[in-house]
Amino acid sequence: MPRWAMVIDLDKCTGCQSCTLACRMENNVPFAGQEQASKGRAIFWNEVFAYAEGEYPHVKMTIIPRPCFHCENPPCVKVCPVGATYKDEEQGLVLQRYERCIGCRYCTVACPYGVRYFNWYQPEWPTGTDRYQNPNVPLRPKGVVEKCLYCVHRLPIPACVQACSSGARYFGDLDDSNSEVAQLARSPRAVRLLEDLGTEPKCIYLKEGL
Amino acid sequence: MQMRDDEVLFRSVFQSGRRAYLLVGILLAIIAWAVYAYVHQVATGLGVTGMNRPVFWGVYVTNFVFFIGVSHAGTLVSAILRITGAGWRRPITRAAEAITVFSLVLGVSSILIDLGRIDRIWALIRYPRFESPLLWDISSVSVYLTASVIYLYLPLIPDVAMLRDRLSAVQGRRSWRRWLYSKLALGWTGSAQQWRRLERGISIMAVLIIPIAVSVHTVVSWIFAMTLQPTWHSTIFGPYFVVGAIFSGIATLILVMVVLRKAFGLEAYLTPRHFNNLGLLLLTMTLFWFYFTFAEYLTEFYGGEPAPLGVLMTKLGGAFSPAFLAMVFFCFVIPFVVLAFRRTRTIAGIAIAALLIDVGMWLERYTIIVPTLTLPRLPYPTGSYSPTWVEWSVTLGCLAAFALAYFLFSRLFPIISIWEVQEGENAHVPAAEESAASESTV
Amino acid sequence: MPKISRRTFLRVLGAGMAAATASELRPGGPLLRALTEEEKAALQDGQDQWLPTVCGQCPAGCGIMVRVVDGRAVKIDGLPDHPSNRGKTCPKGQNGLQVLYDPDRIRGPMKRVGDRGAGDWQAISWEEAIATVVSQLTMLRFAGQSHTLVFLTGRVQGQMEGLIRRFCQAYGTPNYVGHDSISMAATELAHGYITGHRALFGYDWENTNYLLSFGVAFLEAYQPTVRNLRLTGFMRRGRPNQRTRIVQVDTRLSVTAAKADEWVPVIPATDGALALGMAYVIISESLYNHDFVARHTFGFEDWTDDAGVTHLGFKTLVLRDYAPAQVEAITGVPSDTVARLAREFATTPPAVAIANRSVSMQSNGLFNQMAVEALNGLVGSFDRPGGPMVQRPAPYLPWPDVPLDDAAEMALAQPRMDHAGTDRYPLAEAVYQQLPDSIVHDDPYPVSALFLYYTNPLFSSPQVEPVREALKKVPFIVSFSPFLDDSSVYADLILPDHTYLERLQDVEMVPSTGYPVVGLRQPVVAPLFDTRHTGDVLVEVAKKLGGTVAMAFPWNSFEEVLQYRINGLWRSEQGDIIATEYPFFWEEFRRRSLWSDPPYRFGEWSRVFQTPSGRYEFYAQGLKADLAKAAGAEAEIDALLAKMEVQARGDEAFLPHYEPPRSAGDSAQFPFFFDPYKLMTHAEGRGANQPHLQETLGTLLNQKWDTWLEINPRIARYLGIADGDEVWVESPAGERLKVRAVLYEGARPDVVNMPFELGHEAYGHWAKGRGANPNRLVMNDTNPLTGTLNPFATRVKVYKA
Repeated sequence: MPRWAMVIDLDKCTGCQSCTLACRMENNVPFAGQEQASKGRAIFWNEVFAYAEGEYPHVKMTIIPRPCFHCENPPCVKVCPVGATYKDEEQGLVLQRYERCIGCRYCTVACPYGVRYFNWYQPEWPTGTDRYQNPNVPLRPKGVVEKCLYCVHRLPIPACVQACSSGARYFGDLDDSNSEVAQLARSPRAVRLLEDLGTEPKCIYLKEGL
Repeated sequence: MQMRDDEVLFRSVFQSGRRAYLLVGILLAIIAWAVYAYVHQVATGLGVTGMNRPVFWGVYVTNFVFFIGVSHAGTLVSAILRITGAGWRRPITRAAEAITVFSLVLGVSSILIDLGRIDRIWALIRYPRFESPLLWDISSVSVYLTASVIYLYLPLIPDVAMLRDRLSAVQGRRSWRRWLYSKLALGWTGSAQQWRRLERGISIMAVLIIPIAVSVHTVVSWIFAMTLQPTWHSTIFGPYFVVGAIFSGIATLILVMVVLRKAFGLEAYLTPRHFNNLGLLLLTMTLFWFYFTFAEYLTEFYGGEPAPLGVLMTKLGGAFSPAFLAMVFFCFVIPFVVLAFRRTRTIAGIAIAALLIDVGMWLERYTIIVPTLTLPRLPYPTGSYSPTWVEWSVTLGCLAAFALAYFLFSRLFPIISIWEVQEGENAHVPAAEESAASESTV
Repeated sequence: MPKISRRTFLRVLGAGMAAATASELRPGGPLLRALTEEEKAALQDGQDQWLPTVCGQCPAGCGIMVRVVDGRAVKIDGLPDHPSNRGKTCPKGQNGLQVLYDPDRIRGPMKRVGDRGAGDWQAISWEEAIATVVSQLTMLRFAGQSHTLVFLTGRVQGQMEGLIRRFCQAYGTPNYVGHDSISMAATELAHGYITGHRALFGYDWENTNYLLSFGVAFLEAYQPTVRNLRLTGFMRRGRPNQRTRIVQVDTRLSVTAAKADEWVPVIPATDGALALGMAYVIISESLYNHDFVARHTFGFEDWTDDAGVTHLGFKTLVLRDYAPAQVEAITGVPSDTVARLAREFATTPPAVAIANRSVSMQSNGLFNQMAVEALNGLVGSFDRPGGPMVQRPAPYLPWPDVPLDDAAEMALAQPRMDHAGTDRYPLAEAVYQQLPDSIVHDDPYPVSALFLYYTNPLFSSPQVEPVREALKKVPFIVSFSPFLDDSSVYADLILPDHTYLERLQDVEMVPSTGYPVVGLRQPVVAPLFDTRHTGDVLVEVAKKLGGTVAMAFPWNSFEEVLQYRINGLWRSEQGDIIATEYPFFWEEFRRRSLWSDPPYRFGEWSRVFQTPSGRYEFYAQGLKADLAKAAGAEAEIDALLAKMEVQARGDEAFLPHYEPPRSAGDSAQFPFFFDPYKLMTHAEGRGANQPHLQETLGTLLNQKWDTWLEINPRIARYLGIADGDEVWVESPAGERLKVRAVLYEGARPDVVNMPFELGHEAYGHWAKGRGANPNRLVMNDTNPLTGTLNPFATRVKVYKA
């Protein structure tokens, strides 16, 4: 069975956020609204974050799209008291059982990458917006945790990978040494975030530049 | 002497008056408001609190750790002192054991209140995962709660029997109490065999309950320490939390004792000597606590790893420095000064120190949990946290519930273990007289 | 990957085709008809399919496909075959469903019942709505006042532009006013003088090795954005061992600048000087493409005209005035950098320089643009692989002549309300931002009717408030907007159009691939509400007006208009749809939602250069001719230039040159340049009611749902402003906005930046009352020469609130 992994080439990424939007539309992620977003409760299964280093005019801006990394050694799965988040060994994915989650948020706190989000309220779908819900993805109720699932319902191409305008995102089987992701993972530009924590994340970034 | 003890000590059980009703009324009102806040939270969602991403845990988890910490009062005082044969423990064991039980219940309640889906609590029973520190915690706390209830109950039996007998002697007393006491007395007659069994039982529990208690707060600390979060992932957390628990437990015990002493006129039984000893214990714990805290901070600071250092800096000059400073003053600086010197180590002084320590220890839990969460490892924007009225209401409600439970308990049962006190007094009588006295009661 | 399901469409259209005749299309004889109710229902019947159409969130025209399940549109992705976006979308494209299903959409035609702007509406029938329009227009025409109708358009696409223009002509009003003057008109004008094509260029990014962008929001708002994003990925990593170098000259660290290899901060409005400084080095070190310059350009060397007069050439001018040291003083860019960029640019072929709004929408904008374009001429990248291309237009069938009766003839001879083409704005085709003033002052005559199509002047105009006065004055205002936007609130009648996912329309790709691409926007769901295609409405109105107006529209619906015009594509026998009969062509066009005619053939010099010299003109003879015409004689040009507030005189005025920009506001009182900019999520100002876009509003600074002001941290500290503080931003007009300040190291100390998109007073509950509209601060500083707005000329002051 495939060991799914994602590669994001930061040299190709243009920071457009198509991935974030495609993910939201595909996975029925509700918007939080201005008030809740300002309290830090907006849900982004895929989040594009940016940070600046340096002083004018020598400023380096880094833009990083971040899905869940579906770690091989996931800290979140370890701490879930009821197995609402679990590792599907067949596919190498960390998945969710929404109906079992008790909302303790231990997994959200254990994840060093901050990829998990919580439904602080019952998600709102103002009239009309429920029309564009994707029938293939379950809606989540209040009080449960959710996160990127590498579009397990529409493998082998997650929505973000399809939507990426510059073709910066790749997805495939890491165990197939001829697959694009496996080859790119062997690139000298390949890095993984917080690698020294031992989580063995399966999202590999390719550094910018030559 | 026996009769005088009874009078004084039973007064608390049979006393009633307007002030009592007023107190209960106020406490019930606060609790009712807290229940309303919680129901609002269940109906609407945890969004009514101040928690957010990245600060997913806040006041509720702080309360959880705090209350479970306080629950170590009973264990230390009662069990350890019992094993070491410290006689001065006698008037305070029950008060301590009661704190343990109620505090534990509130600790468990706090974490249940924190759940996003309380309606799915059954999942913990159907699909438990013992790889998770939360399950260790549930197991450990369940055992501790069971043991504590037993440990509270066993020494209660002789006193309950006394109450039963007392009520039977007087006609027209309210029957439900007599019924309750007879049931709880389990047919206690005070026979030598029963006493032997009781003492045996209590001794076993006293020994067992110490490692259980240690495990409880160790496991609570491991909820944090088993994650990879900066400043949480520390090997020292187990002992650190246990020390802190005992620390706050003793402080709470002192406070409770001050209140009881005043409310029930128990000056003869809760003497300055007791307070002095507890005060010295508190001083010892202050030093222990300071030692662990200092070791933690120095290690992180000196090592200078960016992630933990960032968290430290929020406490040493950033958003959490007021809380941190208050904690240091309340937990160490002021108590040390007050408790180290005889002149200030009066009941009043000790009480003030204890109160500050309780507040300080709550702040300690808060500043362990929240600052780390505000600084994600990845360069997201820094988080912030402002608890809302819901969280404060629930917290106040828990405190009120504690007070109410305690009050009701002291209405039902003598808050001082009469037979133990008497046992202690009789210990000064030559052994022969004691054995003669015990034989005559067979 | 989900496949496009053809079966349903074929099944549905098969029925239609059976009823079709196989003759050629003639005006008045429709060949195919729109879907019947039955066919529409079939589309909704338990199906799960992907239907192709064209996105409408910006002007680019990317092909998309929409997944429709049980009649509900649930996901949008790019159309794989579309040559521009090739299956990709930008976030706005992904979010189109929030436009379709916006809960605040207008449900059907409405008429105003209360005071203008009070917001009291009554739902009416289409019959009544159209009857009202027809009667108003008839009365006006009868009174000889048809020219007092102003038809204001913004994001008009496909045949709607031609249709509306035709309507205006036949009805009899010269006042068709588009919004290019607040957009890219100056860039297009510059292109027109250099190549003879007054349009944007396409670019062959697949082969570019050096991209030098002067302030172009390449990765954010430079249509067609998705093609830029896609090909940026290609330029970086698409060719083994070759990675295009990308340099961004910009007044702010934009996303484009952040992803570039180098950001060159530059003083606003001085980009032209920088380009000329580079030209100096390229010329003086003889790095230019001698062959191209000699064979395909005009005006590089000094030249003598037929009358024996010697004229200044580009080379002489550059070497005289634009040494790197002088350029450093003007632009703030160190002379070594100027020289280095020049050498890199000239020695890394194919190299392309681009510039757009931020460079051309200045008082010296026309010349800035010419200066930047000159670099492409110097290195010879123009119309070569990797370089700018002149897009071939799609071969639509020409419109039939417009029959004009006397009333129309007389009306069309009247002057325009916006004074375009007069000596106020001699080179302009339209001056959108002149209208409010003209309307308020009845200059040159009172306006009786205003039609608003895809434009929101009470939001998009400089200063904004003057528009309100104008709207209050006009007695009859009709809006075709599907949303109750700021301007529509002041309308008398609203005749809501379909949103783009419900609409049939052709969308010719903006210049990009060089070869023509026409997408077909078609309904993927049945219209949600009682809306009607504005094209259909106008055709019906025209027919009901009778006379020559009706005669000008020998079609019964917009679809027939479309089929008529698209027929030209079939007839041309070009492109990738081969059909022996037009019905088959049309069916295939519908099935694919796409027609294109690759490849682009480089080097068609006679097509590419339509200038007087037939060459790439450094010396813009076209400009000289236009100015001569406007001035009356060549000798009068200098006087005209003085009047137009241009500083150059003589030959220099027709060459790329730099002259200091004019600012609105004195720099002592108003120390900052004001830079209102477009974000990726900025859907042409239409995104404020789209919650997902608002929640992902600003990537670089993690901003959501609100407007902000970017200010350099050192300057902020000096002003006592901390990150997140509320500040006032005030313009010389006295107007001010209160926004949050965000400290940003990517902000120049002399510039403050504020994104467009928010600050509506209507437009749905998510948009209303949220954020601030930078247009309010923008001074109505118009370039007399080009008629274009100079929003970046506005200076502001900032202080703590």
